[in-house]
Amino acid sequence: MSRLIRSRWQRWINRRIPRSDVQLLTQKNLFILPTAAGVVFGVLLLIMLLTAINYQNSLIYLVTFLLGAVFVGAMHQTHRNLSGLELTLVQAGEGFAGDDILFRLRAAAGKDDAIAIMLSDDDTQVRLGHVPSGQSADVALPVVSAFRGYLRPDSIRIETRFPFGLLKAWSWMRPVSAGVVFPRPIAAPDVVSAVDDGDQSASARSPEGNDHAELRPWRDGDMSQRVMWKRFARSGQMVVADWEADRGSPHWLDFNAFSGTDHELRLSYLSWLVIERGKSGARFGLNLPGQVIEPDSGQAHATRCLRALAVWGQEKPRDMQGAPHGTRSNTDSGKKATAGAKI
Amino acid sequence: MSFWSRSTPEPEKQSDSLPSRALLWLMASFALLLSPQIDRLPVWLILVCVALASWRWLAQQGRVRLPGRWLRTGIMLALIAVYLVRVQGSFTVDTAASFFVLTVGLKWLETRTARDFYVLFYILVYLATVNFLFHQEIHWALVNIGAIALLLIGLQVLNAPELPGGIKAGWRRLGVMLFKVLPIVVLLFVFFPRMEPLWSVPLVSGKARTGISDTMRPGDISSLAQSSARAFRVTFGGSMPEYRDRYWRGLILDTLDDGTWRQSGYEPYRRPGRVDVDGGVGELQPQEYDVLMEPTDQRWAFALERSVAVSDNVVKEADDLFRFRRPADSPVRYRLARDNSPEQTVLTLEPGQARRYLQLPASGNPRARALAADLRQSNSDVGVIRSLLSRFREQPYFYTLRPPRMPDNGIDSLLFDDMRGFCAHYAGATTFVLRSAGIPARVVVGYQGGESGAGDEYLVVRQYDAHAWVEAWVEGQGWVRIDPTAAIAPNRIESGLRDAVAEEGSFLENEWASAQRYGDVALIRWASQQLDRINYQWQRWVVGYQGQSQMDLMSRLPGGFGIKELGYLTAGIVGVGLLIAGLISALQMRRGANRDRYGRVLGVWYQLCERAGVPVRSGETPSALASRLAAAEPAVADSARLFARMVNSHYYRPQSKSAPARDGSDEVQRMRRLLATMKRQLRKASKNQRSNSRHLAHSGKHSD
Repeated sequence: MSRLIRSRWQRWINRRIPRSDVQLLTQKNLFILPTAAGVVFGVLLLIMLLTAINYQNSLIYLVTFLLGAVFVGAMHQTHRNLSGLELTLVQAGEGFAGDDILFRLRAAAGKDDAIAIMLSDDDTQVRLGHVPSGQSADVALPVVSAFRGYLRPDSIRIETRFPFGLLKAWSWMRPVSAGVVFPRPIAAPDVVSAVDDGDQSASARSPEGNDHAELRPWRDGDMSQRVMWKRFARSGQMVVADWEADRGSPHWLDFNAFSGTDHELRLSYLSWLVIERGKSGARFGLNLPGQVIEPDSGQAHATRCLRALAVWGQEKPRDMQGAPHGTRSNTDSGKKATAGAKI
Repeated sequence: MSFWSRSTPEPEKQSDSLPSRALLWLMASFALLLSPQIDRLPVWLILVCVALASWRWLAQQGRVRLPGRWLRTGIMLALIAVYLVRVQGSFTVDTAASFFVLTVGLKWLETRTARDFYVLFYILVYLATVNFLFHQEIHWALVNIGAIALLLIGLQVLNAPELPGGIKAGWRRLGVMLFKVLPIVVLLFVFFPRMEPLWSVPLVSGKARTGISDTMRPGDISSLAQSSARAFRVTFGGSMPEYRDRYWRGLILDTLDDGTWRQSGYEPYRRPGRVDVDGGVGELQPQEYDVLMEPTDQRWAFALERSVAVSDNVVKEADDLFRFRRPADSPVRYRLARDNSPEQTVLTLEPGQARRYLQLPASGNPRARALAADLRQSNSDVGVIRSLLSRFREQPYFYTLRPPRMPDNGIDSLLFDDMRGFCAHYAGATTFVLRSAGIPARVVVGYQGGESGAGDEYLVVRQYDAHAWVEAWVEGQGWVRIDPTAAIAPNRIESGLRDAVAEEGSFLENEWASAQRYGDVALIRWASQQLDRINYQWQRWVVGYQGQSQMDLMSRLPGGFGIKELGYLTAGIVGVGLLIAGLISALQMRRGANRDRYGRVLGVWYQLCERAGVPVRSGETPSALASRLAAAEPAVADSARLFARMVNSHYYRPQSKSAPARDGSDEVQRMRRLLATMKRQLRKASKNQRSNSRHLAHSGKHSD
């Protein structure tokens, strides 16, 4: 029952607050209710009124009315704190699954000061503080990511309880832009790329488990872990144990290399490999079903590869009222399928 | 309520440690709220509160730690034990108030989170409410409201520790808010129906009040003469009576018993409910007068001789005395009128009454009895009274606030040996002698005199005006007032106690802080009179504004206003107030939105594009959007391009200050018109399309 009401409510909210990266807070999308403290305050006012009636005390009447009026005044103040404020999603962040992804938001106050503003996601909240009228302030809101893919919080809540904490005014922003969550890197087992590098024979697709390594002289781009340092100490020759040499190219990170493993796991392996290669500055290409990134090196390239890994098999959330992407609320409600099983 | 459960993270998270400044405001408010209570709270309790609050403050500074749960419980139990020992089972409003203060003090030790802060806030607001029960003078009202303002500042600091502009801005914000809501508050105060108390809650105070009592031992009233506390204030509809005629009768003492005069025959009748404190408003008739009496915790009301009740909260009882229905535990205002109609005198005293007023102890004071017999021999009743008074006038009797002790046969020693006494002594002695002579007599206790308040608008009667005199039954005349003090010290009756004891210098000799003591100094006199006038008006019109006044006021309005109508009116005021406030804020919002009219026109434009199936991409230039729209809807191609050009020219036009505002508004007008045209064109285009498709479908069917 409550679930029904909640979904109804959610739908009403979603209609009222369309997805947008820019949200101007007005009477249409601002909500205001007394906090629990405000409810207790109301009860207190009632008790004071009873005292005034029973003791026929005019001054208690006066104070009761004064405080009641202050409560109404606070309602306006609290509302004004937010109304006219423009909240913009400046940048949706990037990061690895499981980490907090930073969403940069900018709040530009309207003609009234915005005081004691709080931004919150499902799990985290950030105090934005005070934005003087006509100015703007930036804030980074960490959003907890559950798995790789596009990360788009269903709603970012902006709230204030100023001046007295007896009332809270809030609204939501439902961003369109999504952050990108890279697959969580998992140390990959030794793998083979099936992509023809050009100068190597394409026939060398030996099954896995063949663990004899071939030694060859060191060349530019080889990882230092692979250098047989003992041999170097003995003979002074830089020799590399290259067990990929005859089975594929070291320049290619291949999705198909990890046959038999889960797709998500493969992406995690690849993510780890990309980071490793990126660190060592090696040249590498990425081969994903449906997407090939030509070999290159450098940080920008690594990031590009990670992005490709992150969104592989996923569609960019463009829809205006689609389900949230990648936030923890999915996992909580047991709808894990949305991100994971699309592949 | 989620607020109370520890599981909700929100209020906890934001306030792991309370902002020091917020705590400071709370403490300042606490100190301010204790100040009206200071004379009714025991000293140890005040010290404990100071200690507990400073402990909390030091803990905030990080110098000491707050006590753990066990220590806290221990302190709590110990203090409650001390309290119980001190109170010793007597439960009055005072002890309840002290307990309340004690709980506030204890709460300091466990104020750790925002939730505790709010709990303290509620308690302190209610403490201010409790203060109003005991003190309603304007300065205490200001203190209480100031303390509540401090609390609200504290809440602001709590909710925005980085409060911009500091405390000054906080005060300004609060002030503006109060100023805005003031009209509604005033309207509510005037129109909110003042109901009858829902249940009976007498305000029993354990503290003895300063004032006259219903027994008179020689010496009681002379101690009262050392107090300058106010007894009551009177406004007369006509002119004030002469000083010597200001006899305020309170009660009658008719039984002499072991040297003490008491009242007999008045059972302590207690009606449930509280005393009605409101005597109504309206112009006073020339004969009427309006008394605002300070609480006495007694039922009696003070009245001039030969008065009748006007307001219905006093009733006239036997012996021309006025009584409330309940003890006056808060200031009461009532109205009386002097009755100038020719008196229909009761010419005979009933035998029972005569016995009552002739009662004397069987023995004692032989010389006074002998004097009475001596006077009786040669004279009629009136003659006895006359010769007794002339004896007082002619022989060297003294009126003094420092009478000697007269332990046994006090009346004899007063009349024949010491010849020094206070009004109570002389009244008692006179009654004794008259009764011995067979004339029914009684002691009347009340006040005599009263000085004018500021501007001679009203009369202030103070405790040192307390007085006792005698009434004797004279055949054919009824009860006649006899004041021996008038014979001994005419000053006392003509101009008051100050002049009567001027030589002695004993006026308010123990009340060095009283403004009345320095009544000779013009400035002090003026200041205290002005202060009293403000307080008097405050008490009459604000504090005393209760059911009767409200009804009187409403009866002047057109249409019969009953309590029900008032209820509707109050609901209406609240509703209209909220509505007006809402409208104002809506208008403000609209005006704010109006300022950027370009923005609104652009909004309409984007809507139009969306509806035409061309969603707006972020970062797209106006002309790009227009060309896309033109591609999608050829019908509006020209208008769209024109519109885009206008938008561009608006944004990229060099900012010239000379460009008048009307120019801009013209431009907006043109853009609006263009938009309307485009809408029309779109509608027409889509209609054409639809009819085309229908036509096509039709023809397709035909070809089948």
